[in-house]
Amino acid sequence: MKKKEQMVENSLGEKRPIVKRRVPAKVYLKKYWQLYAMLSLPLIYLIVFKYAPMVYVQIAFKKYSIVQSIWKLPIADNHGFQYFIKAFKTPDFRRALKNTITLNLIDLVIGFPAPIIFALILNELCFKRYKKVVQTIAYMPHFLSWVIIYSLALQLLAPEAGMINLIWKKMGHEPIHFLDEASNWIKTYIGFGVWQNFGWGSIVYLAAIAGINPELYEAAAVDGAGRFRKMWHVTLPGIKSTIVVLLIMNLGNIISSGFDRTFAFQNNLVMKVADVISTYVYRVGIKGLQFSLTTAVGLFQSVVNVFFLLMANWLSRRLGERGIW
Amino acid sequence: MKKFVMFLLALAMVLALVACGDDEKPANDNQSNNSSSSNSSSNTTKEETKEVVNGKFTTKRTITVEIYDRGNDGGSDPENNMYTDYIKKGMLEKHNVEVVFKKVPRWTEVDDINNLLAANQAPDICVTYSYPTILTYANMGGVLDLSKLVEDNKADLPNLWNWLEDTNILWDKDPDTGVLWAIEGKRNETERIVTFMRQDWLDKLGLKTPTTKAEFEKCLVAFRDNAKTLLGADADKMIPFSVSYDIGWRASNLIESFVDPNVTEKEFYTLGFDDRMLTQKSTKDAIKLLNKWYNDGLLWKDFALYGSGDTTEDSYLKAGYVGAFTHNWDYPFRNGADSINANLAREVGPEAKFVAVDCFENAAGEYKKWLYSSAGDRKIFFPATNDEPLASMYYLDFISTPEVIAYLQMGDKGVTHEVLESGAIQIIGATGAAIQNSGKNIDYTITCNGTYYGDQALAAKSKAYGYAEIDPALVEQASNVARNDAVSNRNVNVGEIAAEAGVGDTLSAKRDQAYDNAVVCKVADFDKVWNEYLNDYLASGGQDIIDERTQKWEKYFGSATSQK
Repeated sequence: MKKKEQMVENSLGEKRPIVKRRVPAKVYLKKYWQLYAMLSLPLIYLIVFKYAPMVYVQIAFKKYSIVQSIWKLPIADNHGFQYFIKAFKTPDFRRALKNTITLNLIDLVIGFPAPIIFALILNELCFKRYKKVVQTIAYMPHFLSWVIIYSLALQLLAPEAGMINLIWKKMGHEPIHFLDEASNWIKTYIGFGVWQNFGWGSIVYLAAIAGINPELYEAAAVDGAGRFRKMWHVTLPGIKSTIVVLLIMNLGNIISSGFDRTFAFQNNLVMKVADVISTYVYRVGIKGLQFSLTTAVGLFQSVVNVFFLLMANWLSRRLGERGIW
Repeated sequence: MKKFVMFLLALAMVLALVACGDDEKPANDNQSNNSSSSNSSSNTTKEETKEVVNGKFTTKRTITVEIYDRGNDGGSDPENNMYTDYIKKGMLEKHNVEVVFKKVPRWTEVDDINNLLAANQAPDICVTYSYPTILTYANMGGVLDLSKLVEDNKADLPNLWNWLEDTNILWDKDPDTGVLWAIEGKRNETERIVTFMRQDWLDKLGLKTPTTKAEFEKCLVAFRDNAKTLLGADADKMIPFSVSYDIGWRASNLIESFVDPNVTEKEFYTLGFDDRMLTQKSTKDAIKLLNKWYNDGLLWKDFALYGSGDTTEDSYLKAGYVGAFTHNWDYPFRNGADSINANLAREVGPEAKFVAVDCFENAAGEYKKWLYSSAGDRKIFFPATNDEPLASMYYLDFISTPEVIAYLQMGDKGVTHEVLESGAIQIIGATGAAIQNSGKNIDYTITCNGTYYGDQALAAKSKAYGYAEIDPALVEQASNVARNDAVSNRNVNVGEIAAEAGVGDTLSAKRDQAYDNAVVCKVADFDKVWNEYLNDYLASGGQDIIDERTQKWEKYFGSATSQK
């Protein structure tokens, strides 16, 4: 593994002079064939698991049947767009689309800065051991599955039997419906999302911070900068490009959402705000057997995501950042 | 150079895509060949009969059979236990057919069977409670037509025909096309839903057993107000009336009592796609009352948070925090030592028990309830991937044999049952290998649901003794309540209702959302919430079903409001 990384770096380092000299392809390949050989493994993975399944995208444009070869399926009505039209006419789909965007935007606004702030705070701690302990504790929720997190949430927050509500009721209040009232549900959902992810998300930022030249801090200190000034003028600019890259990647997911988190937290009382595209696709497509409809929805989702990704990348380049490619 | 490499990579991808695409073709062709060959199974049966001597295959066949996995505590492996061994041995000896069981989680069976069917991995013999699921697959060509199979082999399937008769075998036969996608298993106990109340709480508070809705509500209020007396330190855990997310089931007695006593068969059928009665005209009033109870603090507040199969509510019932609930007529008696009543006796005291009450009167003052009909319960179908349809039919015949049902239901004498002086069968709690994962092994006796013991007279005599560690008088009383003023629906077979295919799950989910939201909303918002969700249900396919049912009814019965 190590060797591979070194070699890749080497090759990247050497790339420029080689290209300039215009080495013939044969010579070049002979020299670096091991690299390409190694690259073939991840490439095969991508082809088998990411590209080959794309053959089935055509289901979105055809009338699907489980017993027929997809090549022989009849084309759907309206020049194959029958299911796209149907999806947009379905109130449930429109609701799921709206919910997905709303939840993801809130997630982005609250969830995105959380690991940055956490990394900045951690960076200021001077007790190394304490820092390590805090870091480890903050990572842990990342390794819990959402089903487990939801059962924790139930034990804590259920209106009748949840621990917090039991204490709250003992104090003479009406129980708070954290999980079965729409607006509270959103807060709870976002809160658990942030809680699960901020520790893990901070790793990248901490690594970026570690790469900042310490002389900059010394220079800032000489100029009389305090803690917050140093954060603002040295640390944040130092990790700006990391932040932008992650932001772009997050924007690329703006209308997709993980299945398990929403699915675990959903219940009948909050479906109005909690039904997102992934759970809609599962319910209507897999359970309701409307494979063509949900393939269309999935395709639509991917196209919009790619659009957002390209937009964000273009924007960041226009603003003078590197972008992700 | 860079360009060249990029080109190479792109080429590799394109090649891979094409290659994968090619790989798909033969695979899919194989599938369609398979299905077409099994579709024409009636032709091949002729060849097969040569290989069958006296109902026994000359060469060994193998079939897979769906079995529910209930995941109960201390249960045995549903695919491999004493009872599966009995079935496997019997099938091998009688028909030279090897049986392999394939488990499917009971509480998510529709989802799971969908996934298996979509993946072409469904068992040869599938069981489900959902006919729309079967219909959807049938329309895609994914299900075998059984009509010829049952008729042509009638002579070889005496037990199946004797047990299910025309009624259940031909129940789903399309009156126009004659296709038969599924065979209806038989319900041998038609009792359906009953409401239970803590008798010891009534006694403690000096209350009479309620006989009307008003009295029932008074009891719930009394439970709420006397939580300290009844539960002491656990007073804050008091749940006067518990329901689950599935309100339509768990408030069924209440909902039924609001139905117009003179409702016509036509109206009940056309508005009756949803077996939880959401679209019946009177249901709104029933839920309005439930909504009032919820807001008065009489209902369990957490009900909507727990999904299907969750045992949280059961544990409250067993711990004795619940005053009343509505459920299957024998719910508190099921599972022997782990039954609700047995738990109550152990944890709370010997006097603690749930007793059936009959207190939901309708406008005519009757306690009308719906019974199960003998069919309309579990449906058995063969997916198109079944290439042993005859062997599968033999399995259904074998599993319908009176002796086989008797053994599976009662097990071994002295281990899972005793014979009382009267000759009645008393079920006793078994542990270890002899444990029955489902009451009387109904999951194995797929053509029979309910006590039969191979003899209807014996079954009638033994019904009350069918529950280990439970007082037979309680069972008998619950059975009487369930059958008091009860009616059952006739089969309305007007052929396929196309609007019902593929929407079953979506509509069930919408129905539950409608019920749940209408129950928990503020009293003042009730009408708004109810209309909003009901309209959503209707707009999502509910109205189409009602329209098509009306139209089909009129096609077959004209302007009559009931079948002849």
